[in-house]
Amino acid sequence: MTTSTRADFPKLDASPAPRLKAFLRDWDSVEMVASLLIVGLFGLSPLVIKVPYYLNMIILTALFAYFGLAWNIIGGISGQLLIGFASFVGVGGFVTMVLLIRFSVSPWIGLPISAASSCLLGAFVAFLTLRYGLKVDYLALFSLALMMILKIIAQELDITGRASGMFLSFQKDSLINMTFVGKVPYLYIATGMLLLGVVIQYVTCRSKTGRYLVAIREDEDAAAALGVDTARYKTIALLLGSAMGGLGGGFYAIFSTYLDPALIFGLAFNVSLLIAPIIGGKGTLIGPILGAILNKPLSEWIGGTVSAQRPGVTLVVYGVILMVFILFLPNGIAGLLRVPHERLRVRLRSTERLRNN
Amino acid sequence: MDPIVYGQTLISGLFLGGIYALIAMGLTLMYGVMGIVNFAHGEFLTLGWYICFWAFTLDGIDPYIALPLAAVLMFVVGLAIQAVVIQPVLKAPFLNQILLTLGLSTAIVGAAQFFWGAQPRTILVSYARAGMMIGGVVVSYPRLVAFIVSVVVAVLLYLFLNRTKTGKAIRACAQSRPGARLMGIDVQRMFMLTTGIGASLTGIAGALLGPTYPFMPTTGGNFGFTAFVIVVLGSMGDFIGAFVASIIIGLAEAFGGLWLGDDVKQVVSMGIFVLVLLFRPQGLFGRKT
Repeated sequence: MTTSTRADFPKLDASPAPRLKAFLRDWDSVEMVASLLIVGLFGLSPLVIKVPYYLNMIILTALFAYFGLAWNIIGGISGQLLIGFASFVGVGGFVTMVLLIRFSVSPWIGLPISAASSCLLGAFVAFLTLRYGLKVDYLALFSLALMMILKIIAQELDITGRASGMFLSFQKDSLINMTFVGKVPYLYIATGMLLLGVVIQYVTCRSKTGRYLVAIREDEDAAAALGVDTARYKTIALLLGSAMGGLGGGFYAIFSTYLDPALIFGLAFNVSLLIAPIIGGKGTLIGPILGAILNKPLSEWIGGTVSAQRPGVTLVVYGVILMVFILFLPNGIAGLLRVPHERLRVRLRSTERLRNN
Repeated sequence: MDPIVYGQTLISGLFLGGIYALIAMGLTLMYGVMGIVNFAHGEFLTLGWYICFWAFTLDGIDPYIALPLAAVLMFVVGLAIQAVVIQPVLKAPFLNQILLTLGLSTAIVGAAQFFWGAQPRTILVSYARAGMMIGGVVVSYPRLVAFIVSVVVAVLLYLFLNRTKTGKAIRACAQSRPGARLMGIDVQRMFMLTTGIGASLTGIAGALLGPTYPFMPTTGGNFGFTAFVIVVLGSMGDFIGAFVASIIIGLAEAFGGLWLGDDVKQVVSMGIFVLVLLFRPQGLFGRKT
């Protein structure tokens, strides 16, 4: 027997214990609260952690969790075959960097422009590949091809620094230029972006659009038969995710002070964007955050020890992790956590029914 | 511009087209039969090329002698990959299938970097520049051989798919999986065979590229990219379409490279990709759905 999700919302007149039960029954809100707690911990971490190396790790974790959330809206929640996500991140990065370095435009203005540019690119991709009746595989093929072409274009243009890429050099703190000598300000910005991502994803998920997106993921033909304009909702998801990717890309470029077309539009970076939501659980709210937390120490360890001796190890490990998770744990860690919760949910419901009778 | 340059470009276009055909035919076959877009197909080519590289540098085996070896080895690699990673996801959602082959391609690029380094490598054969002059145009022997072999392989494969019982069984799987099963066809075996053939073709392509084309671990991905455009242009799953589209794209890239510069020849393919998606998304030979 299934109950509609709406009935799971906590009732206001309930006493605290049933309210807690109702809350626990609605797994989305549990994941949301847990996500917010993690974001809070990220935000408070500079109080305890002072070592730049660890702060750097936390910033990157927050940032890749944010990228994971952005991809999750497209790939996880609406199940679209967007596998070349680095295109949007890279374009965002180049827009902010070009504006700052060539035209002295502050990243505070550059980042929204980055988001808009990537969104525009997303609109182009959606226009070409998401029309009704096209093979779904076209998005996968096109998004990956796009990455390759953007790399070639960035390597050919003077304004993007050709093959050597772009460097951002600075001596002192500047709030306008978003350049800081210490790590802490970056951490606050990254955490703020992650918070934004968590909220956007949650709101999207709980909205009518989110429900449609899940319906499209589960069975596109059935959703279309029920009157859902599938192309339109898929486009909305793609635009939202690509805009978020562009914003994050802009910040990533400023933070790493360096942008190499071969890296940002490369296979390894693209996979590192996808790995967090896949380990953590694509299609779940908290998955990308869990995945990023698990992945960061791992990739640091590989980068620091194994990969230093021989190239390619990082790629092998990423590739194998990707395959192993898809084969054995396609819903990731968060999917695993859902299992005991389902059990709890069933038990709660049965005890309630007993009491009511 | 003088006709000699055009002639030269035509030759390199046909050479490229022949190589592309070997890659794209396997890709389109796998898509047609199993519904899988193999994002690791370009990386299969990488493996094929490095097999010949190893054969040459370790044992001094000429790439043309290593060709059957590469074909057989890649066939075995294809079988293994099919059995271990592709078979389990055949019923999974599309996204999982695609992420899986993406993971596979990532792992292969990494492995190639690990074993052979990230720098470009060449197979230094004595006849790399040998060729004959036809009306001022240099026709390089390795390229000529590559084109002839790829056409011969394409014809053989076509005959195999259309005239032999096994080939017909493979095509039956493409048309209807349950139908094929009801006719007593071992569908799993046909799938194995399909991936084996697809991988084997990239092994042949790798050997043909060997004498003339420098390679690094990401080069296969570039060929894979062009193969994507080809299978879409030639209608996904259409075998003859893939061959025709390969020649078209090979020529388009060669002439595009002539006018725009060799580094950006892929921009031409991308342009064609966009045009196909805009105006003929079912591909050249597809019927409108």
